[in-house]
Amino acid sequence: MVAGADIVFRAKGLTKVYRIGELEVHALRGVDFQASRGEFIVILGPSGSGKSTFLNIVGGLDAATAGEAWFEDHQLTALDERGLTQYRRDHVGFVFQFYNLVPSLTARENVQLVTEIARHPMKADDALALVGLSERRDHFPAQLSGGEQQRVAIARAIAKNPEVLLCDEPTGALDSATGIKVLESLTLVNRTIGATTLVITHNAAIRDIADRVLRFADGQIVEETVNTTKKNPSEVTW
Amino acid sequence: MVISPLHRKALRDLRRLWAQVLAIALVLAAGVATMILGNGAYASLFETRARYYEANRFADVFADVTRAPRALMGEIEAIDGVLAAEARIVKLGLLDLADMAEPGSVLFVSLPENAEVGLNRLHLRQGRLPDPQSSDEVVISEGFAAAHRLRPGAPLGVLMNGQRLELLVTGIALSPEFVYALGPGEMMPDPRRFGVAWLPRASLEAAFDLEGAFSNVVLKLAPGASQDRVIAALDRLTAPYGGIGATGRSDQISHAFLDAELKQLSAMVKVLPPIFLLVAAMLVNMTLSRLITLEREQIGLLKAIGYSARAIALHYVEFVLLIAVLGIAIGLMAGAWLGMGLAQMYAHFFSFPFLVFTRDPQIYVIASGITAAAAVGGAIYAVRAVLTLPPAVAMAPPAPADYRRRQSRLPHVFAMRQTSVMIARHLFRWPFRTLSSTFGIAMSVAILVASLWSFGSINHMIDVTFFRAERHDAQVVFGSPEPLRAVYAARQMPGVMVAEPFRLVAARISHRNLSKRLALIGKIEDPRLSRVLDPALRPMTMPEAGLVLSAALAEALNVRAGDTVTVEFPEGRRPTVSLPVSGISLGYVGLGAAIDITALNRTMGEGALISGLNLQIDAAAQADFFAAAKSTPKTEFVTVTALTISRFKQTLAENITVMITVYVILAAIIAVGVVYNFTRISLSEQGRELASLRVLGFTRAEVAGVLFGELAAVVLLAQPLGWLIGYAIGVSMVAAFSSDLYRVPFVVGREVYATASLVVFAAALASAVAIRARINTLDMIEVLKTRE
Repeated sequence: MVAGADIVFRAKGLTKVYRIGELEVHALRGVDFQASRGEFIVILGPSGSGKSTFLNIVGGLDAATAGEAWFEDHQLTALDERGLTQYRRDHVGFVFQFYNLVPSLTARENVQLVTEIARHPMKADDALALVGLSERRDHFPAQLSGGEQQRVAIARAIAKNPEVLLCDEPTGALDSATGIKVLESLTLVNRTIGATTLVITHNAAIRDIADRVLRFADGQIVEETVNTTKKNPSEVTW
Repeated sequence: MVISPLHRKALRDLRRLWAQVLAIALVLAAGVATMILGNGAYASLFETRARYYEANRFADVFADVTRAPRALMGEIEAIDGVLAAEARIVKLGLLDLADMAEPGSVLFVSLPENAEVGLNRLHLRQGRLPDPQSSDEVVISEGFAAAHRLRPGAPLGVLMNGQRLELLVTGIALSPEFVYALGPGEMMPDPRRFGVAWLPRASLEAAFDLEGAFSNVVLKLAPGASQDRVIAALDRLTAPYGGIGATGRSDQISHAFLDAELKQLSAMVKVLPPIFLLVAAMLVNMTLSRLITLEREQIGLLKAIGYSARAIALHYVEFVLLIAVLGIAIGLMAGAWLGMGLAQMYAHFFSFPFLVFTRDPQIYVIASGITAAAAVGGAIYAVRAVLTLPPAVAMAPPAPADYRRRQSRLPHVFAMRQTSVMIARHLFRWPFRTLSSTFGIAMSVAILVASLWSFGSINHMIDVTFFRAERHDAQVVFGSPEPLRAVYAARQMPGVMVAEPFRLVAARISHRNLSKRLALIGKIEDPRLSRVLDPALRPMTMPEAGLVLSAALAEALNVRAGDTVTVEFPEGRRPTVSLPVSGISLGYVGLGAAIDITALNRTMGEGALISGLNLQIDAAAQADFFAAAKSTPKTEFVTVTALTISRFKQTLAENITVMITVYVILAAIIAVGVVYNFTRISLSEQGRELASLRVLGFTRAEVAGVLFGELAAVVLLAQPLGWLIGYAIGVSMVAAFSSDLYRVPFVVGREVYATASLVVFAAALASAVAIRARINTLDMIEVLKTRE
């Protein structure tokens, strides 16, 4: 993928300052960033380096203190709460460390939750098939393993055919073998629907499956690596 | 002083959960307050009456005679069981006051020579008693004096036995005999149109031609004496002198109305507090269960570091007790305050010289104890979970809520949206909570239905009594029966358009071992102004021979149409006849029995006599009619239907409005308490899911919709249940309120259900709005970073 060809995300001087009492915490210190359509980006960095804050801002969950962030022609940093909700609803798929499934809904119903409100959804069953969970679609979260739950979460995230897929520690709560399955689902989805995918992880082993790797430290991007050869998830271990 | 960490935690939890705590405490407070109020008012009224009767020597037996010689008193005093007896002259007269055009009555009661020792002693509020030698000095009842701004020294114009007299007010007093001072032919006390006047015997003897005689006797019984036997003996003695049968206190009007009031209070005490305490216990259970679930890890930790299960359980019980203490404190204050208000209402409505507002500590202690027990009772089930939780399990996060496949397939059948499926499954996941919340809200609907119906019922009662049955504009009652030709004289009076005669005769109607005393009314065959209605509200024709009994009387005597009853007339030649019951009529006031007037006169054998007239008056000539009616010497009293109705409505409006306001507040407290706690708990359980929905792009309104959808389901489900329970409570209240004095029709219009539901919806909405802010500020980022 060539940078600048088809830019989905642009950020300039993105800054986030939290005030905790008297204390000011600079979570982001002027981050410049852009991502192209279909790109698979892995974001690494220690705890508190600002990577989650960054993901939350580009995902429309949080507001920046200064700087600009654009998704296509939407200026995210100028949207109000309602606008951000609409942005998440129409364009973003999220996958989280703890899956955040609705326990009272089956796998398929969890996916339908999103397809019901999306503009151009795929069929819930197709989304589940993509992550290899067709057989388990009528199970409740409590009846699924952690890896299965995470794959349901991925199916739910992609069912709306999002332009962006944002994943915060998607394998954080999983063992290695299960984690690899989840990563396989993510790369498959990235290829199939062409969603720009940002994956936050602590796990440096995952870097090899990305198009590009960003390293965060102290609220800034301190290192950027472009992988010329991507590995398949099955080729990585940790 | 060092407060142990667990105590400190309890206090902090209290502060942290203040809104939920307050909602529960208010429901508990309502229970305490109604208990204190009901018991307190009951005790207060009971005690006041008892002390007043005791201090003023209220008589036990009352009897009217036409004219008995005073010499008879020796025999009466000698009846076994009679402690004291007093011969009196008690006669009705008419008021002739400059400030009142409409007719009013005054009851003249003679004072004993030494008013300090007699029965039914007066409680003098102002001025002095009349000089026994004077012929025009009078003491008047306080309510009447207040209504006309009369003070000692004021003149009082009356018509005594047809003679206009100007009396001089020397004092204002109260009497235990007229705590509830009901004028003749009236439904509610009206101090403006009815007063009691106490005069020295001499002036009444002269005016009513009763020298050396009496017209009324009252007895005080010795402790342990048999009232029935004394009454039987007294009736034998008075029979030759026109005695129509003595009555005990239970039939004395003022006493009977006080009894009815006491009965209503005790019904309220039985119904209301248990509802509040039950709902409160349920709320405690709901809230504490959730708190314990949330604090699972802390509990595990406490156990791990060596706190005993008992200590931890006691900590939660302490928390609940603190809520109970708060509720009890609010309840005691509210109960005492409302009690004062009720006492003032009594003081206004009943004429007591003093009001004992009992502050019996026992009531407070019992109310507090029961309330605390209800709260702890609610806590026990939830706390049990603490005891059985092993520390290692407790410290691990709970398994995700398990929704099994056996969860209904309904969503697919009805093609529900997934958010609706969430609502349905969450409700079914916690059936006990769903049901108890539904029940709680239903109770608040029920309280409203059970109090609001009274408006409609009273309107129905007024409609039936005054617009369908008693359709006359005025009623004139003569001092003693008059020949039928009085009808023609009446028709000559100004303004009279139609005049229909009736005759009233005292009677005792018996069926098997049951009997009731009442005034049997003789009516013309097809009356138009005073109709007898059948249960379907159709006017009934007077049967040629036979009686029409009111449903209340038929019930009291256990008779049906077609049965035969025995009727004894203690008047005139004292006939006793057997008469068939030809029909059962509708009637809400008193016990009623009607007969054809011709048949009645034939039985009495005194010729064609009438006791009074029902009149239709030309409104334009009303004032002339009032004046003429007053100056007719035969007139004992005149009632004006419009005034009776307006007084009835006014009195009820005053009392019921206060009562309804209290009930609406109580119901709202329950509704708010249940809705607020239910929603907060639901939000606490589903906060994570709801925040996840926000992340997925659901709007605030859509997310709030999930929570409020659940709430709406519970509130809606509660409505029919509440209507049903309210209806049942209403039915039992009607039964509790019914007495020989009146029965209340149970009419529940659709508007009652609608109003009850609207009030509850409003309360639910208010609670929902209070919680809406919390939904709007759900932390989306927090929820993504943490495990449940």
